[in-house]
Amino acid sequence: MQLSSIKKELGVATCALLQAPAYATDSSWDIDTAVLYYSESDGRVQAFEPAVYASKELGDDQRIDLRLVVDVLTGATPNGAHASTVTQTFTTPSGNGSYTAQPGETPLDDSFKDTRVAAGVDWTLPFSRLSRVRLGLNGSTEYDYTSLGVSATYLHDFNSRNTTVSAGLAFNNDTITPVGGVPTAFSPMREPGATNRDGAEDTKTVTDMIVGITQVINRKTLIQLNYSLGLSDGYLTDPYKIVTVVNSETGLPDNSALLNVNADALPYVYEKRPDSRQRNSVFFRTVHHFRRDVVNFSYRYFWDDWGITSNTFDLKYRYEFGRSYLQPGIRYYLQDAADFYRHNLVQGVDVDVNGRVLLDTVSSDYRLAKLTTTTLSLKYGYALGDNSELSMRGGLMNQSIDDGDVPAGEETPDLDALIINAGYSLRW
Amino acid sequence: MRVLVCLSVLSFVAGCGSMDSVKPWDKDLLAKESMQPVPDYFENFYDEHIYFSKEASSGGQSVGGGGCGCN
Amino acid sequence: MMKQIRSLAGLLCICLFAVSGLAAVSEAPSFRLPAIGGEIDLAQLEGKVVYLDFWASWCEPCRDSFPWMTEIQQKYRDQGLEIIAVNLDKERRLADGFLQQMDINFIVAFDPSGETASRYDLGGMPGSYLIGRDGNIHASHLGFRDKDKAKLEKAIQQLLQQPQEKVK
Repeated sequence: MQLSSIKKELGVATCALLQAPAYATDSSWDIDTAVLYYSESDGRVQAFEPAVYASKELGDDQRIDLRLVVDVLTGATPNGAHASTVTQTFTTPSGNGSYTAQPGETPLDDSFKDTRVAAGVDWTLPFSRLSRVRLGLNGSTEYDYTSLGVSATYLHDFNSRNTTVSAGLAFNNDTITPVGGVPTAFSPMREPGATNRDGAEDTKTVTDMIVGITQVINRKTLIQLNYSLGLSDGYLTDPYKIVTVVNSETGLPDNSALLNVNADALPYVYEKRPDSRQRNSVFFRTVHHFRRDVVNFSYRYFWDDWGITSNTFDLKYRYEFGRSYLQPGIRYYLQDAADFYRHNLVQGVDVDVNGRVLLDTVSSDYRLAKLTTTTLSLKYGYALGDNSELSMRGGLMNQSIDDGDVPAGEETPDLDALIINAGYSLRW
Repeated sequence: MRVLVCLSVLSFVAGCGSMDSVKPWDKDLLAKESMQPVPDYFENFYDEHIYFSKEASSGGQSVGGGGCGCN
Repeated sequence: MMKQIRSLAGLLCICLFAVSGLAAVSEAPSFRLPAIGGEIDLAQLEGKVVYLDFWASWCEPCRDSFPWMTEIQQKYRDQGLEIIAVNLDKERRLADGFLQQMDINFIVAFDPSGETASRYDLGGMPGSYLIGRDGNIHASHLGFRDKDKAKLEKAIQQLLQQPQEKVK
């Protein structure tokens, strides 16, 4: 996950093109505090996320940035199985408990409550008069996941600082320690008491690379264009997600073939994703100043070797009122399904009589399906003085999943979420 | 689609080099907070986090930052 | 392509000036600008050492340079130093807002169109030029950092030591 943004990465004692004017002098700290409240409908995920960011010029054109984020998650999350016309029973990840989904209800696992802490530090130092390097260290930890990473970005100004070229590289190493252990891929979910596990933990490495150019077009306009390449290797499967095995005639969950693997098998198998992923994206942004207001538009085209392609449009228009501003925003996201996304597995077609899955990789995680996300937001900001600002944003997100031709009652429901975040920043 | 995107990128980069420079004293508007590519650090941070957890695409704006077991 | 070469050459020239402060001097472009308390004409200051600084309210390091300029003006006024801080804000009220917070003991002039800055080929902000008693630019400097202060002061001292003479 990319945390850092390009803002606040440039800190030199000349007014170069891409400088935010509110920069710390040699002796002051720029501090940003914020909090996010995220809430999905229907008893699904709720998140509360306070965060703090501090930045200080160190003299000699160096700068340090520190950030700390705490993420408290509660609520339930879909387990990959789809709603059915019958009652469904599942075993919790620990292997000790049980939960059910009523007919017509999308199965949700609510046994996950998670608190995650993430921290990072970035150090920017000059390389030459027109260039600089930003080195970063980041880490996060939660009860079933730890991540550690380093990054380096090089930036060079050209053309009287009207053009900035950047190149960045990042490495992340993640350790996944799922509750109950790492499930054996494609093995059946079993009734409480026993589990099919492959060990306590697994790892993955993520390498990201980016090249970009930022260009001043005229006094009121700038544009940005980036290309990124990401390579993930290792355990990329979601250890908590399952896939339903249905009967080819009735379409109902059927564990008869799976009983040949485990006598206590439920009609679900643990998903399996490829052990590598190559991601690409081309990102474009433009910022333009009208007589008084500012518009910020970005577009990203993404594609990977899992068959996923997506288009992201993000538009924000900032109405300036002197000390305050009002900024409506809209984000529109379209995604095509991963090659190995399946609504379910059909017994006799995808699963043989012995309970063996005949496909290489399968996932029913709706987040890999064909979907559209639309978010509308409104932000209000107010300058409290010369050195501080308060802001608040409210947003509504709707995610609609296109499952294709699925029997009535089995469709993946829309996801609706409320997003509220507030922030306070000051120069201290 | 991919070929079109790559060609656009290349012509874009070539075009950048031949543009008229904006003078340092004409960068008053560009210096404003509101004209930064990402004016609000945490607004962007929270969005990236939400969409990383809820969608299959991620990144594009920068590198570095770390992972999460977002489920 | 030619424009690129020219601007690159221009940038290179400024770099050379800034880095070495060589004896590669050139005549300082003349100007007459509105200023606080009237008008300022560079020709009036013939025989003096002039520290010409270009700044704007939206330029953060410019803020840092003002206290230093006040100190230096006080220290070397009697020896013939004249500091001129040329403002490049497009709106006068932005400059006024900034100036209200500062103690100024030097000349502040206004060049909102950037015409004078353009003739000095200003490459960045803050940008300063050291003009000797001979009316020539002896050094130029981009940016303002703590570590630059000593170097700038030394260059000013050296120029102040040069006797008044007309080179025409």
